[in-house]
Amino acid sequence: MGTAAGPVHAAGKARDVRTILVVEDEVLVRLMVAEQLRSADFHVVEAANADEALAVLRYTTDVALIVTDIRMPGSMDGLQLAKTVRSAFPQIRIVLTSGNLLKFSSVNHDAFVPKPYEPDKIIGLIRTLLN
Amino acid sequence: MTIAADPSNKETILVVEDDILVRMPIAHYLRDCGYKVIEAANADEATTVLLHQETRIDIVFSDIEMPGSIDGFGLAKWVRDHRPGLDVILAGTVSRAVDAAKDLCDEGPVPKPYESQVVYDRIRRLLAARNRAT
Repeated sequence: MGTAAGPVHAAGKARDVRTILVVEDEVLVRLMVAEQLRSADFHVVEAANADEALAVLRYTTDVALIVTDIRMPGSMDGLQLAKTVRSAFPQIRIVLTSGNLLKFSSVNHDAFVPKPYEPDKIIGLIRTLLN
Repeated sequence: MTIAADPSNKETILVVEDDILVRMPIAHYLRDCGYKVIEAANADEATTVLLHQETRIDIVFSDIEMPGSIDGFGLAKWVRDHRPGLDVILAGTVSRAVDAAKDLCDEGPVPKPYESQVVYDRIRRLLAARNRAT
């Protein structure tokens, strides 16, 4: 935990556990992905939209990777969030997800995972990106 | 939607809070206390989870003032109508939410020597940091 003036660490996190930020507006999908990642021994922070994700990133220093849906309501979608994160937090890995096969630049993300998720594949992909 | 059953048979708390900087530390605190925690960003998400028959919920822990179609009081009424017998804890302020979390932790399966003031201070610092930025 940081000081009142500085960034803080995500609560409840062991030092050697990597933190994944899951950004997904469909609560049952978010719940499923978060639980699968926790079962794989990741520390998971859940955000319901891009605004919540940015609030977390501004005040925690621990996030190593973001898994974000592309189509989300709110001030920005997943592509805009990825662009913002890549610019402001270039050390954070970015995995985009969608139920639709979309064409987009690879500049602002490290990988794309189609929905529905296959747990073993996304966990393996995240481990590869973080190594 | 398939959500794997929790083999640990932990009690499950549904935390309903629209402020991510409050929801995050409360959820992590309760997980550290040994609970399984499901997070909902508003009452609409909470009712979606509660209607999902495969997802076990033992306690609903909700903020009162929230945006969306219903607030915490509305959610409590919805639970009474649709899931009678399910306990609902309403917390109107951050400090009350922390106290309620502390109470749950005291009765939890893996109690730790947490002090409610520690959690409260953590949330207060997060909120203070955010307020300075806006």
